[in-house]
Amino acid sequence: MKIHLQRSHGLLAMAAMAALAALAIFGSFSCRRTEEASGPAQSATPQSGGSAAIAWTADIGGVNELIVPSSNATNEVLFHVFDHLAEEQPDFTEHAPTMAPLLAKSWEWSADRKSITFHLEEKAVWSDGVPITAEDVRFTWQAQIHPDVGWGDASAKQFITDVEAVDAHTARFHFSRAYAKQMLDANEGVILPKHVWSQIPFSEWRKNGDWFRDHIVTSGPFRLESWKSQQEIVLAKNPRYHRPGRPRLDRVVLRIVPETSSQIAQLLAGEVDFAANVQPTDAPRIEADQRLELLAIPFRNFIFVAWNNQRGGFDDPEIRRALTLGIDRQRIVDTLWGRFAKVAVSPILSFVWAHDKSIQPLPYDPEQARKILAAKGFRDVNGDGVIERGGKPFRFDLTTNAGNQQRIDATVMIQAQLASLGVAAVPRIVEFNSLAAKLEEGDYDAVILGLGMDTSLDLTTMLHTRAIGNGNNLSRYSNEQVDRLIDEAAGQPDIEAMVPLIHRIEAIVQQDQPATYLWESQRLMGVNRRVREVRPSPIYMLWNLHDWWVEPAPGGPAR
Amino acid sequence: MISFLLRRLGASVLLLALVLSAVFFLIHLTPGDPSQLIEDPRMTLEQRANLRRIYGLDRPLIEQYGRWLVATVQGDWGISMVQQRPVARVLGEAILPTLALATTALTIQICVGFLFGFAGALRRDRPLDHLLRAVSLIFFSLPVFWLGLMAILTFSVHWPLLPAGGMRSIGAEALPPLARARDLLAHLILPASVIGLASSGALARFVRSSLIDALGQEHIRMARARGLREWRVVGVHALRYALAPVIQILALGIPTLLSGSFVIEVIFSWPGLGRVGFDAVLGRDYPVVLAGTALAAVLVILFNLFADLGHAALDPRVREGLAAGAR
Repeated sequence: MKIHLQRSHGLLAMAAMAALAALAIFGSFSCRRTEEASGPAQSATPQSGGSAAIAWTADIGGVNELIVPSSNATNEVLFHVFDHLAEEQPDFTEHAPTMAPLLAKSWEWSADRKSITFHLEEKAVWSDGVPITAEDVRFTWQAQIHPDVGWGDASAKQFITDVEAVDAHTARFHFSRAYAKQMLDANEGVILPKHVWSQIPFSEWRKNGDWFRDHIVTSGPFRLESWKSQQEIVLAKNPRYHRPGRPRLDRVVLRIVPETSSQIAQLLAGEVDFAANVQPTDAPRIEADQRLELLAIPFRNFIFVAWNNQRGGFDDPEIRRALTLGIDRQRIVDTLWGRFAKVAVSPILSFVWAHDKSIQPLPYDPEQARKILAAKGFRDVNGDGVIERGGKPFRFDLTTNAGNQQRIDATVMIQAQLASLGVAAVPRIVEFNSLAAKLEEGDYDAVILGLGMDTSLDLTTMLHTRAIGNGNNLSRYSNEQVDRLIDEAAGQPDIEAMVPLIHRIEAIVQQDQPATYLWESQRLMGVNRRVREVRPSPIYMLWNLHDWWVEPAPGGPAR
Repeated sequence: MISFLLRRLGASVLLLALVLSAVFFLIHLTPGDPSQLIEDPRMTLEQRANLRRIYGLDRPLIEQYGRWLVATVQGDWGISMVQQRPVARVLGEAILPTLALATTALTIQICVGFLFGFAGALRRDRPLDHLLRAVSLIFFSLPVFWLGLMAILTFSVHWPLLPAGGMRSIGAEALPPLARARDLLAHLILPASVIGLASSGALARFVRSSLIDALGQEHIRMARARGLREWRVVGVHALRYALAPVIQILALGIPTLLSGSFVIEVIFSWPGLGRVGFDAVLGRDYPVVLAGTALAAVLVILFNLFADLGHAALDPRVREGLAAGAR
């Protein structure tokens, strides 16, 4: 027996030694990047070459944006592989958004503003050397509106009646009417390579995601060097890119890391240079590391409670106002986001130039909320802590989607805050797809969700009566005056003219409180200081990826 | 034995058909469909309806079932509705990483589980036994996501010895084959150790109790009485008796490992079947869900069969029972 015991000890010791040896052997390999990544940047002169690694939250759905599910993760990557005609600038915080030339070097409007003519950059070629022409622009539009392609954003093209290839480098968009966001609509979607992708009919596109991947030619600063599903996407410099000196990096590796804490771990360990999804709780760890920098930019998104205006109780603006007054939004923001968010006030984000800065969030005023509810006939008659009217307790389901801890936490905090008014909000956490089906059917009392807002100032899908059940009017809000103002704003010939109308809509929404706007947050990212000129924008985190550059490693070329 | 195998095979095919049909109807009856995965706020009801038409989701469910059944029998698992790629390719890409992770984790589980179980049984109720039982219990009780995060913090961040995630280092493809293999192993150590250690706790306790039970058997006492050496008594006779139930437990656990450990795959950014399956369920990617379920069901059925055969090979009483059943 003793022999066996000794052998057991021996085996344990051997296992421990083997584990230590393995750590030592493999550790020597994995440590290398950490050592290379450490140390502050030395030079301020941009360098060409080298590579950067990015921890990216989700894999791309494919390379053909017309058939892949639209998502930020996919759009950001494709934005650097395929060019648009023009590039929307992130200057909408100061004034109406402007456009910079990209594939189109210039454009002009017709006198009646019902057509735009784009003049394409003659030097622009696909990555296989074939020139990018007006035929590509026309082909792209044909694909975008084809029913068998089923592009999710096809509604952007609803007023475009034709795209004419005037000559090899001139494309003209014809519209059925003039309106404010014609340029945005014309520019929506990247330009696709007709000479390659027209080889298969549109009706077959949705069955051939891999074919596009195998037959990809690109027009952007990078080409897709490799893509290992759920592992990594490697973008390599497109040597034929038409903008001189761009991109600066030879290679960008996007490593798919869905877990945010794993992203931070990899950033801290020096395995990646950029973490795309930093939680507020992780911000201090990044700030404490001298090799790293925390980047915070406004996020074009707001979180709100949509009261189902078609359900009893929530159909009264006064009651909705009382609920907003009874929610301590500042406390929610402070708890969940700290300094990285602010209380939201309107569907027009507060950092957008057209927002009416005079509108202030309703204060937290539970006393006033109680008075309003009492005036509306709510009393706690049976003493159970929940107010009633006509024998019916003020109880409703407050639903949000599973998988978003901040929304779940907010749901619980709102439940507690409304309970002090005698209002019983019952939290319901529902898987996103099931929730989407409920939203479509209007089968909910109140939901906490987020919505993204582009720069078009078009509030149709959020507030118009016709967007109830067919868009993102999740409050199922209907106000004839607001409908009229939205229609009037959408028909303005330029975006500047929309502003007074938008301000009037914001004032009515503030009065009606179809939803309680909770917060606008910042998007947080972590970057290793060895990577320079990283300037995310509210539009894209990797906004200026083509400008990024890295310091050469000591004694050698840039990594 | 052949008759037994044929009967089991027939039952397995029937079981597989039932499982897949049940999953087909359940996933289709769950609220939501792939058209609702799309985040675009401007997508209208008409566009969603158009997508449903393209994918045939607007047809009666029974018709969809019929079409799916015919295609499946012909070996066509369809096209992923989210990735627009053949399902076989989607799953095929995830199988190898899962196999690599599962086999390494299984090796760790078996080594640690048997080592602890043996040592505990042979040193029953002594300090070493108490220590190993406590350690096994800790492995068994700790949630794998916590263990995974702690492993990353300890061995990747605090002491940067091992990669924090992924399956290979950036640029590893340019390395020579040996260095590439070493790189893969470096990435495997943490996730496989977490899965292996977490599942070794239960195995260790099972091996210990089986071996204690075996050591108390009449034939073991007889073997000792006949003067056989102790290593032969334990290593051959007792082990053979103790292994039979342990093999069943292991065989039934293997499909779970192969189907992918979603939590670990997410934490360590491991591109395996667990992540593919989870994403498919969330995205209502029906063809991928069904094919993934079929794969998992086949694995369960196969390893159940292996477990029975392994048990029969080790235990003559079971062998006789199977033969009698066949007659």
